[in-house]
Amino acid sequence: MEMKERIAILENYIMQRCLWQFHSRAWDRENQNNGILGITKTMLLGEQPDISTPELKCYWVDAKCLADGFKTKFPWVNEMGKEDIAVMMDGLKERIDYVTIHGSLNEELTVKLY
Amino acid sequence: MPYHTFECSKMLPDREKHAVIKGPGEDITSALPLGNLNTVPGTITERGCAYCGAKHVIGTPMKDVIHMSHGPMGCTYDTWQTKRYISDNDNYQLKYTFATDMKEKHVVFGAEKMLKQNIHEAFDAFPNINRMTLYQTCASALIGDDMDAIAKQVMKERPGVDIFVCNAPGFGGTSQTGGHHKINIAWINNKVGTVEPVIKSKYTINYVGDYNIQGDCEIMTDFFNRMGIQVISMFTGNGSYDDLRAMHRADLNVLECARSAEYICNELRVRYGTPRLDIDGFGFDLLAESLMKVAMFFGDDCVEKAKAIIDEEVARWKPELDWYAKRLKGKKICLWPGGSKLWHWAHVIEEEMGVKVVSVYSKFGHQGDFEKGIARCSEGALAIDDPNELEALEAMKMLKPDCILTGMRPGEVAKKIGIPYLNIHAYHNGPYKGFEGWVRLARDLYNAIYSPVMNLAAIDISKDDFDTDTGFKTRTMLSDPGVPREELHTENMYTGKMDIVTPLRGKKYDFPAPEPKADAVV
Ligand code: SF4
Repeated sequence: MEMKERIAILENYIMQRCLWQFHSRAWDRENQNNGILGITKTMLLGEQPDISTPELKCYWVDAKCLADGFKTKFPWVNEMGKEDIAVMMDGLKERIDYVTIHGSLNEELTVKLY
Repeated sequence: MPYHTFECSKMLPDREKHAVIKGPGEDITSALPLGNLNTVPGTITERGCAYCGAKHVIGTPMKDVIHMSHGPMGCTYDTWQTKRYISDNDNYQLKYTFATDMKEKHVVFGAEKMLKQNIHEAFDAFPNINRMTLYQTCASALIGDDMDAIAKQVMKERPGVDIFVCNAPGFGGTSQTGGHHKINIAWINNKVGTVEPVIKSKYTINYVGDYNIQGDCEIMTDFFNRMGIQVISMFTGNGSYDDLRAMHRADLNVLECARSAEYICNELRVRYGTPRLDIDGFGFDLLAESLMKVAMFFGDDCVEKAKAIIDEEVARWKPELDWYAKRLKGKKICLWPGGSKLWHWAHVIEEEMGVKVVSVYSKFGHQGDFEKGIARCSEGALAIDDPNELEALEAMKMLKPDCILTGMRPGEVAKKIGIPYLNIHAYHNGPYKGFEGWVRLARDLYNAIYSPVMNLAAIDISKDDFDTDTGFKTRTMLSDPGVPREELHTENMYTGKMDIVTPLRGKKYDFPAPEPKADAVV
């Protein structure tokens, strides 16, 4: 399976299942995507994420569910090498950033206040 | 994803970008309905006003409060008691509603004096209630009554009384969503941080954006309590006024309806550093994952308890859900709620009940709600923002759904053209949250689609000749032809009790002892 295809499958999984990527402002979505997808990547690489603050811990619970979901729903994730996982997660982050922020048609994303 | 133009709205160019059909391989960057815009002149909207959003949706579910509208009688009377947000104090807030009954003379000469008199009368009439919310309406806003000043005077004159003023007049926003926003911000600005809660557990949350429709919130708080988590406040279903003043002390904000209540979670995060965790309380799979997320935030002991609850609930209720799913498979539904259910349910109802969501709509949703909803629904679904009645009729004729999941007003319209509707605002026989609740929803959907009355109602009795000995079929005659013979048994139809909420009240829970914490208030 090509990397692009893998990324599309994971993107679809996030879009159908998760809510964290749809906070109401662009800056907020950036934080969410960085926090949750960053920790998901760390976990899939077998490393220990930093969960020392309530904010990071909150990202971690979404990330943990995501990483577990990826591994159970798509067994090929378990067979990938670390380098490929890193490339895949970077590509996934780019896509989620595009769909929810840079390519988003939501005109409220740039409103200053909540 | 092409924008969809309704025939009936061709003369309304402003409606051009309010509906889209999700095409193959397309995503939310291809097209997105506009949302949260002023209603277009010439279209008849189903929206409510901002006052309605503030009072009837968010304020009034608070249970131990005199809810008073400062304005004409009609503002408070309309929609009173149609919401079914029950409470465990004998539904005080549903039984009584209060209005100052503003008249022409008050508009001319001012209504502050009369407002003050009304407040005193209400507190005198209910000496056991010492909390009040005061809602501005169009009339009191336009004449400029200073409700805050009156509230302060009364609080001075009646020690022990606390009053919250909500300045969200009907014209203050595009629809009810303007009121949701205003009351969220007013509450955090004026009331959060003014009460210190009694902390009973090591783990504490606010459960936000659930209005306890037929007990939804009580089902969820039972799960949290069984997991050892203290729910400091419920915003606002079955919520207590003083508990909600203590929201700043929770470790985590667990958010359901982001449309109506994300504002307060966002502000709590900015001002007090409390994280926001969005969850889904509906559907087996998403609910199970949501409970696990909340549990994981707190630790392994919580996780063990959550797992036990999930295992027990799934084992008990899954066979019954499956019984209905077999019979609902392939049925087409329109998911037309007010706001958040379009994205809470869009995917999971297809996955777990086998139905096909052919359309989603929202009256007052923002573009963010459509992003979530369209991302979750399948190809071919028609998404509509703030549809008018003619557009909804046209959509039903085009899509030929088997059931419309919506509120009373559009629901009654659907019934007139022979399509059953399920009330997902006030519910038919909820609660619909929780594992058992999801089965109740499946049961109600099944009953709506297969009710024999739908066939009988379709017979044209205006003609002289119509058969009187045909046309009647029982529910199972209608629902079972496609079900394999060996699975025709009925023992897995819903076996729960009519009232599943009252038994939860007064339950005792074990909480892990709280640990001393550094002052969290900044
Ligand atoms: S629009 Fe104004 S007058 Fe009408 S119900 Fe709402 S608050 Fe009352």
